[in-house]
Amino acid sequence: MNNIGEFISTLETEFDELAPGTLKPETKFNDLDEWSSMYSLIIIALIDTEYEVTISGEDLMSISKVEELYEMVKLRMKQ
Amino acid sequence: MNPFSLENKTILVTGASSGIGAKTAEVVANLGATVILTARNEERLLDVLKKLPKGEHQIIQADLTDDEAINEIVKQVPNIDGIVHSSGIVKHYPVKFISKKQIKEIYEINYEAPVVLTSSLLKSKKVNKGASIVFMSSIACNFPNKGGALYSGTKAAINSFSKTLALEHAPQKIRSNVILAAMVKTPLFDEAEKTVSKELMNKHGKQYPLGFGEPEDVANTIAFLLSLASKWITGTEIVMDGGLSAGM
Ligand SMILES: NC(=O)c1ccc[n+]([C@@H]2O[C@H](COP(=O)([O-])OP(=O)(O)OC[C@H]3O[C@@H](n4cnc5c(N)ncnc54)[C@H](OP(=O)(O)O)[C@@H]3O)[C@@H](O)[C@H]2O)c1
Repeated sequence: MNNIGEFISTLETEFDELAPGTLKPETKFNDLDEWSSMYSLIIIALIDTEYEVTISGEDLMSISKVEELYEMVKLRMKQ
Repeated sequence: MNPFSLENKTILVTGASSGIGAKTAEVVANLGATVILTARNEERLLDVLKKLPKGEHQIIQADLTDDEAINEIVKQVPNIDGIVHSSGIVKHYPVKFISKKQIKEIYEINYEAPVVLTSSLLKSKKVNKGASIVFMSSIACNFPNKGGALYSGTKAAINSFSKTLALEHAPQKIRSNVILAAMVKTPLFDEAEKTVSKELMNKHGKQYPLGFGEPEDVANTIAFLLSLASKWITGTEIVMDGGLSAGM
């Protein structure tokens, strides 16, 4: 994961319902029409399998934007 | 003799360091049983042991995903009159993230461990005639939730295993049953709450006519299944869900 652009395209490929280009660093997850509890599970599993980083549903609730998620993952990858 | 008593019975409890297993150890010891507690975390096992009334109880620290550890347990335990399988993990993986790694992770502890432990104990003739075996299963096997493909699968597989066991060992009056539990307030519950969020969990809780379960609710039913009072019950599933599946 070199930059946020790459991170976003990885997210977008997993969310089949999202048109490419929908996600921006400042996009709020809750503002997405398709947002659901299934999305949290997908994000948690994706980050676990792609980056070997564990995040919880509570972690997800504590952030709102795509860039905050990116920062969280980046920080935990370093640890 | 009181058919609900567990006096003179030795009961092996897995997952005894936490939640339902820990409470079960306490409840069955109070009903007179000698308890053998097993799990990985020795410190927490000792904490549970301290709460039990005086007796010959013992702890065996073991990781049940390790075959050697299972052999050790089989070697160390005296003859037993009951097994309570309460070790287990919950992990959520959406279908498209499932690979052999995730399957192995969950099936190893939720399915393979209880199956191999049971068969090894039977093979080494450590299970007394008239013994009772109880598996912690989940209503998720009949009502899966998103992300729960693997977890629900392990529990469905355990249900079938338990029925087969009941059939094969009926001549020795060894019984086997599963408890299909809905959400019970244990550390595992707190874990699940972290994954799906408190909000969703509270919403889910509103659908239970009697609210979420307590470890003691399940432990008391396990104690009944271990006792002679349930001697005509085998190969079945007992639903404990606070009325969740009764209807709207
Ligand atoms: N709570 C619920 O809502 C609920 C609902 C339906 C079914 N169940 C089932 O009930 C059982 C008990 O759940 P619980 O809520 O009491 O969970 P818990 O508090 O998390 O306890 C799980 C137990 O399993 C043990 N364990 C986990 N991995 C192990 C391993 N590799 N080797 C040996 N022991 C291991 C843990 O001990 P160590 O970490 O010390 O090893 C712990 O004692 C589980 O099978 C679960 O699937 C629970």
